[in-house]
Amino acid sequence: MSAGLDNLKHIVVLMMENRSFDHMLGGLSLVMENGQKKYPKINGLTGNESNPDTQGAIVKVQPNAKFQGQLDPDPDHHFPGVDLQVYGGAPPGPGRVANMQGFVKDYFTQTNDVNRSHNIMYYFTPDKLPVLSTLATQFAVFNGWFSSIPGPTICNRAFAHYGTSFGQVGMDLFYVLDPIPSIYERMVQANHTAKIYYYDQQSSTMEIVNLLKNQPQIFGSYSQFVDDCASNKLPEYSFIEPCYNDHAGPGGGEILASDQHPDHNVQEGERFIANTYNAIRTNPALWKSTLLLIVYDEHGGIYDHVVPPACTPDGYFAKPADTDTGEAFNFDRLGVRVPAIAVSPYILKGTVVPGPEDPANCRVFEHACIPGTVTNFFLHGDAKQTVREKQANTFLDLLSDQMRSDSDIPFFKLGGQ
Amino acid sequence: MATPSNAILVPATQRGAYNPNRPAGLLLRSQTMHLREALLKHLEELAAVLAIDPKSLKTEGDVSAYIHRATAILHTHGAKPAKK
Repeated sequence: MSAGLDNLKHIVVLMMENRSFDHMLGGLSLVMENGQKKYPKINGLTGNESNPDTQGAIVKVQPNAKFQGQLDPDPDHHFPGVDLQVYGGAPPGPGRVANMQGFVKDYFTQTNDVNRSHNIMYYFTPDKLPVLSTLATQFAVFNGWFSSIPGPTICNRAFAHYGTSFGQVGMDLFYVLDPIPSIYERMVQANHTAKIYYYDQQSSTMEIVNLLKNQPQIFGSYSQFVDDCASNKLPEYSFIEPCYNDHAGPGGGEILASDQHPDHNVQEGERFIANTYNAIRTNPALWKSTLLLIVYDEHGGIYDHVVPPACTPDGYFAKPADTDTGEAFNFDRLGVRVPAIAVSPYILKGTVVPGPEDPANCRVFEHACIPGTVTNFFLHGDAKQTVREKQANTFLDLLSDQMRSDSDIPFFKLGGQ
Repeated sequence: MATPSNAILVPATQRGAYNPNRPAGLLLRSQTMHLREALLKHLEELAAVLAIDPKSLKTEGDVSAYIHRATAILHTHGAKPAKK
């Protein structure tokens, strides 16, 4: 066992909303230093990736992403839309090949404007995202972390909580069909500690099934998370939900959505990620005993160049009427790639976890890896797990023997309004 | 912990970003539907407990089962709001 694993007492997962890997981190591959790529192992963009638009013009990726105002209307990320994005419009059926050529065409169905449909190919340059870019290059970035389903938020988040969506591929409320407890229930039942921290009561949680089951004890607010970090009361496993909407704060202040869901402000999400990191970073005892995973639930309809791989079938089945593509879905392939970063002082600087670009060393991750990793580590696998969890890669092997010095570790200073 | 001199500055969010009048997207509208479902579940449980006449409870086992269900509802509804 590594010293990092030996010291590990807390796993914290922050799940953001609806941005693809290439959109947020793809620009890192284009950073040059002394005439060479500064981050050659990151599987980002070459600058030549493209999609055809509805007029047949070739639209290349461009470093024009803005914090807000560019992805309104919200890009399609429901099952049929993602099918078009991934397969370029080839009708469902045997033998078709995924090519990631349908993003612009699909965004045209939202915008009805050829020029605006090109926005879906825009990406951020690293200087625009100092928090995410710094964490990706200073700790571990995953080249092959994919959303669990080629579909929207609720079913993808379910994989992070349960290791399955119980056959759902959409936004409907799902009910637990099999006796697969959530990762929080597993922890609590085994006398371990776990909590979902939602931002505040105006934002609340997307994890309603647990609310339905009357388990208020596993929920807390984000301010409680910050307090728990400072007072060494953080549970063994924590899941953090960003603010999902703009609303008035106590005393009439302005609270902005920090989830980065289009068209919410991306800078505000950067500040939320930094604040979460700092809450752990500023407590030395917590910092050396915590692994923070920052991951996005799904790509939100925004371009990524990596074809999602096949995966172990989930054991569930979505009917053609549910997928709305005319074809059933066996949960046997993953959704589009998303940003994922693991942070700990025991992670070597500049770690890149190889993905499909490196077939010999490829490690594919998806959201079932979260309950899979937490169950393996805290419960030693002694809990009922889903098929996908049992097959999932775990990520705690990223923790090394060497704890990095404080001077080697970034700290974020949040600028005032 | 003092802020290190080499701290990375995270800019303030651009002015004018706040817009509570932005039309609610599908995710938020789904969230409200899910919350409504959750409230209905509470209501069903509440109605089931209220349908029991306490005078009909004879044994300590009957009474304790009733108290259990009532307390579970009251405890949930009485949960402290999230700290601001």
